Amino acid sequence: MSDTTATTTREELTGFERVPLRTRIVESPRPFLQWLAGLFALVAVEFGTYATLAFAMVERAFVGVTALVELLVGAVSGSATSTVLDIQAAGSTFLTGLTEWAGSLPTLFGRETIPNQGYMLGPNGPWKGTFLGLEPALAWALRLTLIVVYALFVSYWLFRGWKIYRDHYRQADWTPTDDMVGRLRGHRWGQFGILVLLLYLSMAIFGPALGPTTVEQNIQSSYSHEIKYYDTEAESVETVFVGEANFNSKSKGSGENVGPMTYDNYDRFHPFGTLSNGRDLFTFLMGGARITMIVAGMAIGIATLIAAILSMVSAYYAGSIDLGILTTADGIVSVPRLILLIMVSAVFANHWLGNILDGGFILALVFAFTTWPLLWRAVRGPALQVAQEEWVDAARSFGQRPRTIMRKHMLPYIVGYLLVYASMTTGGIIISLSALSFLGNGLGISAPTPAWGRAVSLGQSYVATSSWHISLLSGLVIVVLVTGLNALGDGIRDAIDPETESAEAEEAAAGGGA
Amino acid sequence: MNSGIEQPEQTAQLGETLIEVENLKKHYGGGGMFESSSVKAVDGVSFSIQRGETLGLVGESGCGKSTLGRTLVRLEEATEGTISFDGTDITTLSGDELKTWRRNAQMVFQDPESSLNDRMTVGEIIREPLDAHDWKTKTERQERVLDLLTSVGLREEHYYRYPHQFSGGQRQRVGIARALALEPEFLVLDEPVSALDVSVQAKIITLLEDLQEEFDLTYLFIAHDLAVVRHICDRVAVMYLGKMMEISDTEAVYADAHNPYTRSLLSAIPHPDPSTSSHRITLPGTPPSPRDPPTGCQFSTRCPAKIRPEGYKHVDEAVWDAIERFREVVRERSRMSLSTVDRLKRQLGSFSAYDDIDETVTDLFGDLDVPTDVSEHIETAAGLVKEGRPADARDHLNDTFNGACDLKRPDFHPVGEHNHMSYCHRHESDYEDVTPVITRRTSDS
Ligand code: SF4
Repeated sequence: MSDTTATTTREELTGFERVPLRTRIVESPRPFLQWLAGLFALVAVEFGTYATLAFAMVERAFVGVTALVELLVGAVSGSATSTVLDIQAAGSTFLTGLTEWAGSLPTLFGRETIPNQGYMLGPNGPWKGTFLGLEPALAWALRLTLIVVYALFVSYWLFRGWKIYRDHYRQADWTPTDDMVGRLRGHRWGQFGILVLLLYLSMAIFGPALGPTTVEQNIQSSYSHEIKYYDTEAESVETVFVGEANFNSKSKGSGENVGPMTYDNYDRFHPFGTLSNGRDLFTFLMGGARITMIVAGMAIGIATLIAAILSMVSAYYAGSIDLGILTTADGIVSVPRLILLIMVSAVFANHWLGNILDGGFILALVFAFTTWPLLWRAVRGPALQVAQEEWVDAARSFGQRPRTIMRKHMLPYIVGYLLVYASMTTGGIIISLSALSFLGNGLGISAPTPAWGRAVSLGQSYVATSSWHISLLSGLVIVVLVTGLNALGDGIRDAIDPETESAEAEEAAAGGGA
Repeated sequence: MNSGIEQPEQTAQLGETLIEVENLKKHYGGGGMFESSSVKAVDGVSFSIQRGETLGLVGESGCGKSTLGRTLVRLEEATEGTISFDGTDITTLSGDELKTWRRNAQMVFQDPESSLNDRMTVGEIIREPLDAHDWKTKTERQERVLDLLTSVGLREEHYYRYPHQFSGGQRQRVGIARALALEPEFLVLDEPVSALDVSVQAKIITLLEDLQEEFDLTYLFIAHDLAVVRHICDRVAVMYLGKMMEISDTEAVYADAHNPYTRSLLSAIPHPDPSTSSHRITLPGTPPSPRDPPTGCQFSTRCPAKIRPEGYKHVDEAVWDAIERFREVVRERSRMSLSTVDRLKRQLGSFSAYDDIDETVTDLFGDLDVPTDVSEHIETAAGLVKEGRPADARDHLNDTFNGACDLKRPDFHPVGEHNHMSYCHRHESDYEDVTPVITRRTSDS
């Protein structure tokens, strides 16, 4: 190798790393810009949905924070609290206004663009008010399909973003992540898990547009909304309160039943039938998806964070610190979770904390508090193993800070395990949450906000009748999600742990030879 | 290459003491409520390392050599004693002072599979020490990493590769480059080649020698047998059960080992020329637990040259061997603790769990012509064991058969030239020297 080539290589090599990602993108912007344009378009067509969600979340957070401030200020001076409350009210009104404004923005797959609620003008149609005059079932199915396809495409686009980074902007031509993704590609069961998770996330985000009607109209304030329908007896189009229509569309066994994929007497289509109180089950379940995903996500997020930090601390410092954490974790595990949930729900029943997210916030905290010891226990082993590796000693020997050692040299090796156990544990949280709502009586998510467990419980007495759909379909919604999360966990485990794979391959080879 | 980072004045100081270790102890556990005694991994060791030399540290696994190496780079806290590095006692350093000092002493680890973080590129791995110490500018760090890659015989393109893509020898080169990054003066090489293929071992050793010359490094080279260290080490220290048995110039150790333990290690190396002293000495049993080392000389339970008590001159070699084996069995028994039920049985006189000791006695002494003054004590001891009191049996045997080696710790005696030191009672004038004893005993058996 001549001197000149050596220098060019060197300049190329160091030059490459010195350049920050932004500069690397500026140097060859095409792939990135193309991807960005696509993402922009994808967000733009559903901007209203995302903005509504974001503003609503900010509003909740704002109310929560000001409530906390009020509590603290109240302890010092009583007069200041009213100021805080004024600020809270003003801010909340403003943010709610923004949320409503965002909600009024048209979206490509929204109910305004593809309406499915309408009524017949005569005994055999035509339909008025629906998309292109289609019958409500078809209009609804079209919208549902489009939204699902859209959501999956957005997910694919985000994955594609990573691929573009890998192919065009990353320095290393290979990293361990590539292998993991590769292994997940051939893993059908894991892919099923990912698909399920994506579908349920779509339900949480696009829920209001997915149902044939809305939670607000059909469930929360059914006597403030009127609908039109073709009355076969009067042979004319009549107007009725939604609440009244619900009252006459109950599913209560053989006498009164509106089953799955049928219309009721008010020209309304019910893909999953109606509940025992006449409300639309599909809409109810979509509404439940959002609160379930938020509570479960928050709980598992906090629990995973605590478990990650504490498992690394136990493994790195070991000794009495480890013992202390162990004792704490065992103490928490020994408290029966259900009793704790019931107690906390009772204590915070009338407290502001208990009202955030319809009681979901405090539940998420309790779930996080009771779940981290389980995750910690599962991950402590792998963490201890990593702490024994010589690269950790090497880092200590040149004086690396413990925090950096944990982040750089330990975390990457336990994050996979965390994901595996977290996704499997989430199933348990979802089941417990549903169980609480099933029990009712002030437990779980407070009515009328939809909760899956409550739907199961409403249908409980009709399981053996023609209204079997209430409990069965709600139960299935829970079961599919829990199964999907377990599949996801299996997929991640196999993706991060090639040893099991190669061991199996060896076994297979040995078996073939014998 | 890198001429800027070498310090020419060091060359002038070659031969000066860089590290002075005095009465260093490292004990694990103990002190707590549940553990009765601590593990004495390093138990009072003193030696020094000259600037620019390579000191070999040899011993069986578990003898404390790795712990000693790790203590020297402050991966372990010393329990007692001092390590003075260039005049500073580093056992008391902490915080920023410690971090700054760490640049001077680095370590190369044994297992190249475990010593590199697989999730980082080779460039990041070698650069990490520089980053941790905010060494110069970012560009200079990268330049330095590339220089190091070339120095250890890798190519600059390897910067963005992952360790996964390298062979064991190459990974070890990366580990060496990382250790060199901060321009240390002293490197602890913890069995750097024992996990590698034989064909690669020589290359890595040569690399280490070249680097030592290029960067004026001082090495502590840890190895588990004497064969490896001969080529690279200037001096060799031999460790057994946390204690230094012998230390001297490499050639002096090979040609004229004084300590019985070193002799037995040497006898395990295949000799090309069968000279007079090349009888193979096989050590019986295994090293005792470092939790409960012998009271006298650490090596006394297995020593082929052990000093025997005055009163038993007439007892022949085979019987002595049997006695030592029997003592070991009893010692093991006395370490086990009895269950409550067994303790109750012992009170009632119906204890029987240890009746198999009779078989041991038959196995060991059955074929031998045992003098009565020996056999009566053996029987007494066996009786005590059967009663469930192995600790008393152990004491009885100690009282009877203890010689100088069992009773008191030897001194570290100067023997021969070049600060040749050996840890053995036999270097005192009262006792016969090691060589004739070993020759006699090994030829007898
Ligand atoms: S002191 Fe005794 S036991 Fe120790 S090495 Fe010397 S002869 Fe052997």
